Order: sequence, then structure tokens, then C-alpha cells
Amino acid sequence: MPEWLRLALVIAGKDVRAELRSRTAILSAVVFAALVLVVFNFARDPTALAAVDLAPSVLWVTFALAAMLALNRAFTVEKENAALDGLLLAPVPREALFAGKLLANLAFVGTVEAVTLPLFVLFFNVDLGTALPGIIGVTALATVGFVTVGTIFSAMAVRTRFAELMLPVLLLPFMVPPLIGAVQVTARLLAGRPLSEMMGWLRLLALYDLVFVILCSLVFTAVVDE
Amino acid sequence: MTASEGAESLVRRGTVITAAALLGVAGVYVLAWGYTPIEARQGVAQKIFYLHVPSAWSALLAFSLVGIVSALYLWLNDPRLDRFAAASAEVGLAFSAVMLTTGPIWAKPIWGTWWTWDARLTLTLFLFFLFIGYLALRAALQDPGERARFSAVIGILGLLLVPFIHLSVYLFRTLHPQPVVLKPSRPSLPPEMLRTLLISGAVFLLLYIGLVTIRYGLALAEEAGEHGDAA
Amino acid sequence: MPPENAGYAVAAYIVAAVILLGYTGTLLRRARRAIDRARRA
Repeated sequence: MPEWLRLALVIAGKDVRAELRSRTAILSAVVFAALVLVVFNFARDPTALAAVDLAPSVLWVTFALAAMLALNRAFTVEKENAALDGLLLAPVPREALFAGKLLANLAFVGTVEAVTLPLFVLFFNVDLGTALPGIIGVTALATVGFVTVGTIFSAMAVRTRFAELMLPVLLLPFMVPPLIGAVQVTARLLAGRPLSEMMGWLRLLALYDLVFVILCSLVFTAVVDE
Repeated sequence: MTASEGAESLVRRGTVITAAALLGVAGVYVLAWGYTPIEARQGVAQKIFYLHVPSAWSALLAFSLVGIVSALYLWLNDPRLDRFAAASAEVGLAFSAVMLTTGPIWAKPIWGTWWTWDARLTLTLFLFFLFIGYLALRAALQDPGERARFSAVIGILGLLLVPFIHLSVYLFRTLHPQPVVLKPSRPSLPPEMLRTLLISGAVFLLLYIGLVTIRYGLALAEEAGEHGDAA
Repeated sequence: MPPENAGYAVAAYIVAAVILLGYTGTLLRRARRAIDRARRA
């Protein structure tokens, strides 16, 4: 295994273990997601719009908001523990450090999504059926997209006074392409459309991930180093 | 020359350029209302075109420069680049505001709706939010080095977001065919319209340069005020 | 016969002027204050 990957996994493992102990980020995000789903349910008129038409948007707005909450909490907790400073003193290549943070955040957000999805199926009576593997796939693709940029921005936001407000202001424009792609693909998956109809969006998601993972790992050093 | 004298001379030069540009804008107003013909299908509202499109060019230029200069800053670490990026972002915000207001005012009589998620308006909205995010981040950071580095990061990321927004809107529209609408910018313009558009474009570019110069001088003056008057 | 929508054009031209002149004015005012402060420093 390449050295940077091993380092990244070690760093990610440390963060994940810390979160498992305190559980602050994941718990608050999951509770938040459940509440959002409840609100969405009462906010719509069941006779006017079928659940399946609204479902993709509801699911992805919930994922997006919960992800931002998780990202914010994750970095805030770390700032309180000044854990990052110790890491920075060690000669860890910054790309590996970023990869580690990214993997940990993906684990957090992924967990929140994994818990939210069954809740969503339950509350909205949506039949996933054969769409499930596809939904997992597109969720992974889109999540990588916005967690990558989210990791960079939460690292920056946490150094400002209004971190909870700064992160959404910075991050939301960047979440739009992955969100649009995810909603479009999810809608087609739920409607049982053939793969060919989603290729354009899937390519967009994949390209976005590629570009921003590379870019963010390159600029991470500007965020954490003097 | 001390720092505050340098700042002053820049602000003075910028003011001259801006004054000339604003006179030019007034000239464009006259041309638009007195010289250009009235478009048959869109009527007088079409004249908004001479303001909306050039401010779009300036806003996009401002934004691209923020991104490019941000990348240069991370590479070269020159504080002048950071000052320029901040200036370009603020001026770009002003031009985006012009786009975001004239756009819907133009859309309403032509397309019947104040807003539509077409490529240009959507991009305008995103540029606006990206500018705001950039400036909000700068305002929230005190340490100049940190402020410069962090804004550079968002500058670069923002610039790379733009093609993806474009792609998303394009994909969205090709898969969701919109009703055929009157495209406000025709590829073949009568010569008076083309001439006025190009003159307006040049005038708005001059205005960008003038305003950025003033804003850059302002940044210099603020720094001189904080650190004492050193060269 | 072109549609009667000159009002929109007038509104747009006024709004644009307000934004551009307003921003220029604010900028110059901030610049003057900063230069004064710099001179005194």
C-alpha cells in the first residue's frame, strides 16, 4: 500500500474512533435529518403530488443539509481538541492529511445517509426495489463531491467567528452540481429508467469528483499551513 | 514614496479613469436611447441589452481574474496579488448586482416571467453568491496571511465551479426541453446595435479598471493606516 | 408594432445607474477616510 494511503487511513481511523467515542457529529446530523424528513412530510399535500415525484428532491435536500451539519461538527470538535496542530507538526504530506480528513468525513456523512435512507423509505412509503444498488452508487458519487469541498471549507470556516453560518454560505454553491446530478439520477432510478438516460449526469458527477478531489488535496496545504 | 502617498496616487488615478468611464456610460445611455433602433419584436425593453451584456462581460472578467490571480498568489505569495483579487471581487460584485437586477427586469416583458433558470441568469446568480462568499470569508478573517490564503483557495475553487454550473444547466435543459423563447441576443445585429454594444463593452471595461484601481488604492491606504506610514 | 414596454427599460437604466454611481460613491468615501487615517498614522 502506498505510504500516503497508509497515513491517510491512520489519520481517518483516528478521527473515526474519536467520533465513535463522542458521537456528537453523527447523532446531531441523524436527528436533524429525521426532523427534516418529518417537516417535508407535513409540508406537502399528499393528494396534490405523489410521493415518488417529490422523493428525490426531498431525499437529497435532507442529505445535503445533514451533511453540512456533520461537516461543521466534525471540524469544530477537532478544533476544540487542538488535535490538528499536533498532526501538522509531524512531517505528514498534506495530501495524505487531506485524504485522511476526507475519508473520515465520508465515513461520518455516509453513516448519516445510511441511517437516513431507511427513515426516508419508511416516512415516504417509497419502494426502492431494484433501484437500491443504483441509489447507493449515486449517493456515493455525489457525497464524495460535496464532502470533498466541504472538508476544505469547514477547515477554513472553523477559523472564523461565525463558522456555522460561514460553511453553508461558502459550500452551497458548490453543492449544486452534485445535488442536481444526484436528484436527476435518483429520479430516473426510482422510475426504472434505463441507464442510458442517466449517463450524462453520472459523467458530470464523476468528473466533478475527479476535478475537486485533486484540486482540494492540492490547496489543502494553503489552509492548514502558515 | 510612502505607502499612503502611493495609495493616494492610485486612488486619484483610479478616480480619473472611473470618471471618464462614467461619462462613457452616460454616452452609452444617450446612444441606446437616441441612436439605436427599436427592436421590432422586443420593443424598447430590448435596450436593456446594452447594459446587461457588458456588465456580464465585466462581472465574468472580474471573476476569472479573481480565480487566476488567486492561483498566482498561492504560487508566488505576493501580497499585491491578494490585494488585486480582493479589489476585483468587490467590483465584480457590483457588476453582478447590475446583471442580477437588469436581467429579471429584461426577462419580465420579454419572457413573461421575472426569473428563469436559463444559462445566463443561473450563472449570474452563482457568480453573485460566489462573490458574496469570497467577500464574507475575507471579512471574517483578521490575520492578513490567513485571509489571503483562504480567499485564494475559494477564488480558485469558485473559478473551477463555473464550468460545472454551465454543464449542469446545459444537461438540465437538453433533457427538459424548454418552450421556444425569444433569445434576447441575436447573432446578427444591425450595425447601430452592434456598435453601441461594443462601445458599451469598452466603457464597462474601463469602468472595471477604474474601480479596481480605486479599490486597490483603498486597500493600500487601509494597510498603511494600520502599520504606520512606511514605504 | 413593437410592444409597449419602455417602462421596463427606463427602470433598468435607472437601477443600473444607481448601483454603479452608488458603488463608486461609497468606494471614494471609504478611500478618502482610509487615506486620512493613513496620513495621520
